[in-house]
Order: sequence, then structure tokens, then C-alpha cells
Amino acid sequence: MKKTAICCLALILLILLPLSALAEEKRVIGKVKGTRGSMVSILRDGKTKPAFPNDKIYQSDTILTGSDGAIGILLEDNTLISMGPIGRLAMDKFKFAPAKNEYELRLHMMHGTFVYQSGLLGKLAPHAVELDTPVGRISMLKETDFKAKFSE
Amino acid sequence: MNWKIVIVLLSFPLLMAGCGSKDNFIILSPSGEGQVGALEIETEKGSAVLDEEGKAIFIDDRKSVPSDPTAVNRAETQALFQDALRVHPLMPQSFLLYFKHNSDQLTEGSQKLIPYILEAVRKRDSRDISIVGHTDRQGEDGYNRILSMERAQVVYDILRAQNVKGEEMTILYHGEGNLLIPTADEVAEPRNRRVEVMVR
Repeated sequence: MKKTAICCLALILLILLPLSALAEEKRVIGKVKGTRGSMVSILRDGKTKPAFPNDKIYQSDTILTGSDGAIGILLEDNTLISMGPIGRLAMDKFKFAPAKNEYELRLHMMHGTFVYQSGLLGKLAPHAVELDTPVGRISMLKETDFKAKFSE
Repeated sequence: MNWKIVIVLLSFPLLMAGCGSKDNFIILSPSGEGQVGALEIETEKGSAVLDEEGKAIFIDDRKSVPSDPTAVNRAETQALFQDALRVHPLMPQSFLLYFKHNSDQLTEGSQKLIPYILEAVRKRDSRDISIVGHTDRQGEDGYNRILSMERAQVVYDILRAQNVKGEEMTILYHGEGNLLIPTADEVAEPRNRRVEVMVR
């Protein structure tokens, strides 16, 4: 009897876990505000699609620009990020829930030129902002705006 | 032929070489409110703090020590980031509109803000405008909820009449539940009789 109960529990967990992971992945975290050039795209669930102004951006999307591309992004907390040509940026984690005191922003700037302007998250919880780059980890000590260039 | 231009053009790649040969760097931008930020970069070999506006840290690769903060040429920086800067979004802008006592009529001062709201919408090509109504604590709770809704609706109608599309606006209302200036119940406070318009 006990064994059946454990089996049932395991089964329920097996069904629920991927669902919650999926819900986490599919959260809208911002949108495209502007693009330039023809080669600007969003990589989501292994598929690449062209990016246009007002397109939604989801957690764990990767943003790509070609040799003449550039993109401007507005996150839900008003963080502004723009990226120039030949860029690759992964929106790994974003959580902004001031009522629950939950903050997280984790971006992976793989290559390209980046302009970052802090929003409310960076103001309320600078330590919750972390960037992975090809040369190491960048963390905010207080609200900070910066520009950066990285190569692979 | 203007030789000054030629010299500038010729020297440009040389100037850029200062940055160009360095493939990885991070520069502290001046922030809008006159405050200077601070960040830390950590490689496998060490870490460095950047807390001076206009200075940069250069890093060769993951296995090297970050450079000391170094002053960089502002014009050079602008040139290098011009493609990103051209599409860099404008920060969302919020407006507070105030109302006459126990009324859904805007004060004269707030009526004058409407053109600035329309300008903010136009500049951002905004499709995301939230309109949030509030009251002060004078009067009954339920009455104030309805009054805050009516106030938000008035602002919606004004913007709608100026050709802002309905589907681009969202109305919310909080009655006396979200005070700008905290007060005791039944206190008349003009600054709490407001509608906040956020243009994103």
C-alpha cells in the first residue's frame, strides 16, 4: 500500500515538474522596442524567428543580430538593453515581484556591443543583477548603467 | 578637399585601435540622475571594481587579470556603440494628473500636461499605456473606488479623443488603497486625487 502511494506521488511529481519548468520558461519578461537592419532574430525552443518591434520576449530567449542588425529591448521593470551588430544575448533569468520582494536578472552577454540602462530592479535590488560574459561574471554593487563589448 | 576631415578620417581607425584591439571591456556610463554606479567583474584570475564614470576595465580573456580602470575617449565610445545607441529605447515616462475635489474634472495645471503625454506616446511609438486612478481618503471607500475609476476613464477618453488607440491603453483603479501621501481616514489631500499615466 505504502509502495503504491510512493509510486503515485512519484508519478504526480513526474507530471508536475516539467509543467512547472515549462511555466517558468514561458514567462513574458519584456518586449522588443526597436530594430535596425534585416538580421535580427529571437531563438526560442530551438527555433529562430525574425524579431519585430513590439514582439514579446520570454525568459530564456536568445536574441541574435547579424552584421547589419541592432535591437532595443524594454524589460518589465523598465530595464533598457540595446545590442549592436553580430551580437548574441541570452535572457537567462528575470524575476520582478516587488510585492513579494523577489528580484532576479541574469543575462548572458555572449558577444557584441551592449548598452545597459538600469530599471527598477537595478534600483531596488542591484545585487540581484548578474551578467555572464566570455571573460567572467559581472555583478552590480549599486544601480549602474554601462556599455560593454565582448567577443567569444 | 578639406584636410581636417581627411586627418580625422585617417586617424579614426588608429583611435579605434585603442579599443578595437581590446576585445572585451566594460565602461561605466553617466547615469541620468547624477549618480555614479559601481560594478565588479570577476575572472578566473582576479576581480576589479569599476566605480568611476567614463572609465573602463579591459579584460583579455577569462584567464587574465582585469585591467585597472582606465579613462576612455567619450567620442570614441559613442562611435563604437552607435548602432546599439540608435535603437536604445527611451525610458518609460510617467505623468501624474490631479483632480478637483470630489470631481472627475482635471485641474487646469494637469490639463496642460495632456500634450506632453501625447508627445511621450508618439516618441516611443508606445502600445503600452497604463492609466491608474486614485482618490484621497475623504468619503466612503466604495464611493472612492468608483470615483477613481471615473477619473481613470476621463483620462482614457481624453487620450482616446486624441487618437490614442483603445487597445493600447489599460485602465486600473485603486480608490483610496494606494496613497501617494499617506494620511488618516477622512483627510482631504489634493495630491492623492490623481491618475498616473505610464507610457512605456
